[in-house]
Amino acid sequence: MTLNAYPALYTFSVGVLPYITVIAFVVGVIIRSMKWLSAPRGSPTPLSLTAAIRQMILDVILFRKIYRHDKLTWLLIFLFHISAGGIIFGHMRGFKLWSAELFAPLSEGFKNFLVETLPIYMGYLFIATQLILLLRRLSLEGRKLLSHPNDYAALLLLLAASIAGQGMRITPPEAVDTTYTVSFIPRLVVLHLEKIPSTPWFLLHVILTQLFLMYIPYSKLVHIYTGVITAALYGSRRSEYGL
Amino acid sequence: MAYERLDEALKMLSRKQLLELDTCARCALCTDLCPVYAESKNPLHAPGVRSSRILSLVNKRLSLWARLLGPRPLSEGELEELVESTYHCTLCGRCMEACPFGLETHELWLSVRSLLNLLNQTPPRITMLREMLRENGNPYGLDADMRLDWVDYTGLEEAPVKDRAEVAYFVGCTTAFKAVNQEIAYSIASLLNELNVDWTLLGEEEWCCGSPYLLAGDREGAREAAERNVEALKARGVKTVITGCAGCFRVMRWEYPKLLGGPLPFRVIHAVEYFSEHITSGDLKPEPLDARVAYHDPCELGRLGGVIEEPRIILRVLTTNPVELPENGLEGRCCGGGGLLQAVDDELRLSIVDARLRQTSELGVEILTSACPSCKLTLSDGVRDRGYNLEVLDLMELLARQMGL
Repeated sequence: MTLNAYPALYTFSVGVLPYITVIAFVVGVIIRSMKWLSAPRGSPTPLSLTAAIRQMILDVILFRKIYRHDKLTWLLIFLFHISAGGIIFGHMRGFKLWSAELFAPLSEGFKNFLVETLPIYMGYLFIATQLILLLRRLSLEGRKLLSHPNDYAALLLLLAASIAGQGMRITPPEAVDTTYTVSFIPRLVVLHLEKIPSTPWFLLHVILTQLFLMYIPYSKLVHIYTGVITAALYGSRRSEYGL
Repeated sequence: MAYERLDEALKMLSRKQLLELDTCARCALCTDLCPVYAESKNPLHAPGVRSSRILSLVNKRLSLWARLLGPRPLSEGELEELVESTYHCTLCGRCMEACPFGLETHELWLSVRSLLNLLNQTPPRITMLREMLRENGNPYGLDADMRLDWVDYTGLEEAPVKDRAEVAYFVGCTTAFKAVNQEIAYSIASLLNELNVDWTLLGEEEWCCGSPYLLAGDREGAREAAERNVEALKARGVKTVITGCAGCFRVMRWEYPKLLGGPLPFRVIHAVEYFSEHITSGDLKPEPLDARVAYHDPCELGRLGGVIEEPRIILRVLTTNPVELPENGLEGRCCGGGGLLQAVDDELRLSIVDARLRQTSELGVEILTSACPSCKLTLSDGVRDRGYNLEVLDLMELLARQMGL
């Protein structure tokens, strides 16, 4: 069985859906941006680059404020984001943004650990932290109070996409020693697989991930990119106050 | 419901505020730390719920979908609930400091109050307060000529009201008119006299700083108050304005330049900044007290005003046994005295201060100081109402006392 075992689904998820994803994502970003830009400017915040970068590193990357107030939540969120970062970085290899040669100076064993073994553990960690965070959201008073049904939709979509991705990793590939190229958008978004994965997991992962990407600008997931801007502005504002 | 008016009012929110509303990841840190929600447990009082309600309103009326498909009507009681949520807030800024994305909620809540003001949805007691402000220039409805009564009540011998001076002491309404706070004015004036400073009061020309106007959502009222005070200070050639009120300080230092569209012709500092310099330089040498003394950070001075270290410099020379309270500095816990909460729900204010006083008494604190007349008022009310064995003083009072003034 090859990746083309379900030709219609394959054509849709790899040949059509990527264009829909890009359009939906771009349109979403434009709609959101238009909404913000249609409002008045308000009082300007004098930009302090140092303060803005400091704030971004401490609060958006290291989650300092969460650490101060709730160590367990911080640990979960930190591990969740670290594993997400690792997984995104790993995917970039498939899209030829880096190659395993990057680790050439390291011993063969360690290189294999980084490229082959670690991603599997990252996947488990990613799924586990998501599950725990979801359970906490469902059970803790403050989080329950603030959560909307569409927040759960975003979390469930990401969880399903991650489980499908992990399924792809841990189930035996359909063919080994055979590279395979998936051209989502010719010459622009091309995935180079070292092995042919099991078809159902692959298709499920590809579809769910694209649905997730499409959903970002229409949901609270916009904080993925707007959070960087607001933290930078806050850092600048606080430096004005000498804080 | 006049929807045209609502849509116009919603357009007051700035692009940064709309971006912030969309950025909220609903992590609930703000809710976990909100002093109001901690006591009331009313979901409407949670900052995250408030921001969700505002976002829902914006999306119903102004989003692209609303423009394409037509704005959606508000559900029954939606606006009333937003009023309840907005005014059950002490505007302490704790949610802002807690937010991992740095959403400037303090500014956002003030904008929502302005929005509700435009919609004539301000709670009746706040509207009454604003009318008193307009009529008398203070939120207590008292005549301007009573502004210097504290001088007689406290027995202060030298209280100059000059035509020109280097330094002006801006007393503030809550210090001048509230008996529990008049010793603060006496202490600051005595300390200025002790240092032989060329200083003046504004007397009857002092007007409300504008803070209650902002808290009531009346930005224009605040601008007029700012204009009036700045003119009076400029006419005296003042170089430095000192105030002992955290609310006056924050508004004059940080809001006046925005309200008036430019920098002020004088510097505005809080009394703790001014006198901590004189303590450090050795001009003031108070006798240290042998007692457990703690300092409660006023939200408008610390987190919202940027003055955190100076009061501690003073505290360390005033006592041999300074105590640091939990939740201090940038993360100071609100006493409940801000945001005009007293006018809306006084029982809730007393529950909030009770939580702070519990923390204080657990540490065996004998004297609890602050640097804000609203905090002193609330902490004193709490001590009286809940029966704590604790002396509440302003840091300036303790400084003057230890200076033998």
